[in-house]
Amino acid sequence: MTAVVRAEGLTKYYGRRRGLEDLTLEIRPGEVFGYLGPNGAGKTTTIRLLLDVIRPTRGHVTVLGAGSREAAVRARIGYLPGELALEGRERARDYLAFLARVRGGVPPARIRALAERLDADLSVPMRKLSKGNKQKVGLIQAFMHEPELLVLDEPTGGLDPLVQQEFLAMVREVRASGRTVLMSSHVLAEVEHVSDRVGIVRAGRLVAVENVAALREKAVRRVELHFDAPVPAEAFAGLPGVRELRVEGAALSCTIDGRPDALVKAAARFTVVHLVSEEPDLEEIFLTYYSEEGRDDDRQEPA
Amino acid sequence: MIAKSLRDFRRSLIWWAIGISAFMTMYLGIYPSIRENPDLYGAQALAKFPGALRDLMGGLQDMTSGAGYLQSVVYQLFVPMLFAVCAMLVANRALAQPEEAGTLELVVTLPVARRRLLLERFAAFALGLLAVAVVTLLVTWALAEGVALGVGADRLIAAHIGVYLVGLFFGSLTLAAGAASGRRAPSLALAGVWAVLGYVVVTVGQNVEAVAWLKWISPFHYYAAGRPLYQGLPVGDYLVLAGASAVLVLTAVLAFDRRDVGV
Repeated sequence: MTAVVRAEGLTKYYGRRRGLEDLTLEIRPGEVFGYLGPNGAGKTTTIRLLLDVIRPTRGHVTVLGAGSREAAVRARIGYLPGELALEGRERARDYLAFLARVRGGVPPARIRALAERLDADLSVPMRKLSKGNKQKVGLIQAFMHEPELLVLDEPTGGLDPLVQQEFLAMVREVRASGRTVLMSSHVLAEVEHVSDRVGIVRAGRLVAVENVAALREKAVRRVELHFDAPVPAEAFAGLPGVRELRVEGAALSCTIDGRPDALVKAAARFTVVHLVSEEPDLEEIFLTYYSEEGRDDDRQEPA
Repeated sequence: MIAKSLRDFRRSLIWWAIGISAFMTMYLGIYPSIRENPDLYGAQALAKFPGALRDLMGGLQDMTSGAGYLQSVVYQLFVPMLFAVCAMLVANRALAQPEEAGTLELVVTLPVARRRLLLERFAAFALGLLAVAVVTLLVTWALAEGVALGVGADRLIAAHIGVYLVGLFFGSLTLAAGAASGRRAPSLALAGVWAVLGYVVVTVGQNVEAVAWLKWISPFHYYAAGRPLYQGLPVGDYLVLAGASAVLVLTAVLAFDRRDVGV
């Protein structure tokens, strides 16, 4: 199958300031792609390049098989800007109707259903909408024409937790119907539950693209073990993947990179009375990409 | 798209139409008292005004005849300037203002090519300004009849078309500057300075050799030189104005089509 988004050597400079450097990326049909990075890393630059809001300095990008300059293809894209501006006396409902018309028509019932789902009041003039309500209007306009590709820049900003859950459910439905989603965030926790893959961008460069499942496997886990009697520290020394090992009497604590298999087998020689394993903190691995580059070989050669 | 832009402009267009009509009403309303006091407003009285001021007001040769009065107080300076300012502000709302506010970002991601987007916004601006021109023309004509000004409707139409074209020119200029820069204040400043200087060179500057040639780039030259209120429609001059606007709009299309939006 052809890629929904294909970027080759995509580069953008704002004058001399680097926005994005040499991005090569493919997003496949039917996947949810999480695009991660801190503010200013180049997420919004990438997204604006896909939608032809800005033009690349070098490189090339196709979206849904067409060059980004082709206007007609944008009817098949739903876009939520990172800084959504809605102004004026116009009611949100009328603005949505306008956007729907330009994109080729949307049944009003679908707009109503989305508004109900997100609990958005569309009868309010847009300048009077709160930040959260503006974001809801932004989500409605992105989803309403059931686009083949959804491009969502920081979609959860300003939404309360209940609405965030509803939004994630909507993203899952889009994936279930075989459509594609690209969503950016600076917080992995927001996207890890719905994303199939995540790309991590840092200082204008894509530093990693990972399967979320693989990322979980890489995750750093804190583990505590309690035994019925004091255990010798040497029994656990040098286990692959085990770091920050501390043995104090009958208690052991450490962090594990990757699989906990070696530790479990070593512990099995003693009587375990209690075991605590924290959920893998993807945020932590995510952050290691930012603190150091090229840590990929860490897994094979534990400290 | 055009309808949506017109809806966005609606309020400001209505206010401009009301404002300009009020201005007409006020000035044409006092014409009867001026006609009846020729010694106060006649040529001799006006000769007491300083020369530069008289030049700035287009000469002030004849205040007591209907056409002279209308030309001096309405069509010379104030109404074309009001139209120019109205056009600049509305044209700025077509592109530069929404771009600065951030609302243009979503609009350029709609399935509408940039060129078409700009042309439709320009069309909305031109139609909106036309509506203001038609309304104010009707008000002027009604008032002129009411105070027995003695100026024919054809002459009013000729003058008013000129006013509209002056507005169209400055609106197109603002649009082109906004399309190229994406910024509101510089676009407005460029058009504003062009308007003020353009007016000065065809009035006070017409006798100053060093600047008199600048009249060729002043829209007011093409507006006023044919004396539409006295001599009817100056077709050639007006075509120059319309052509200049067309060139500016074309420039705007090309500039906007190449540019990054909102950065």
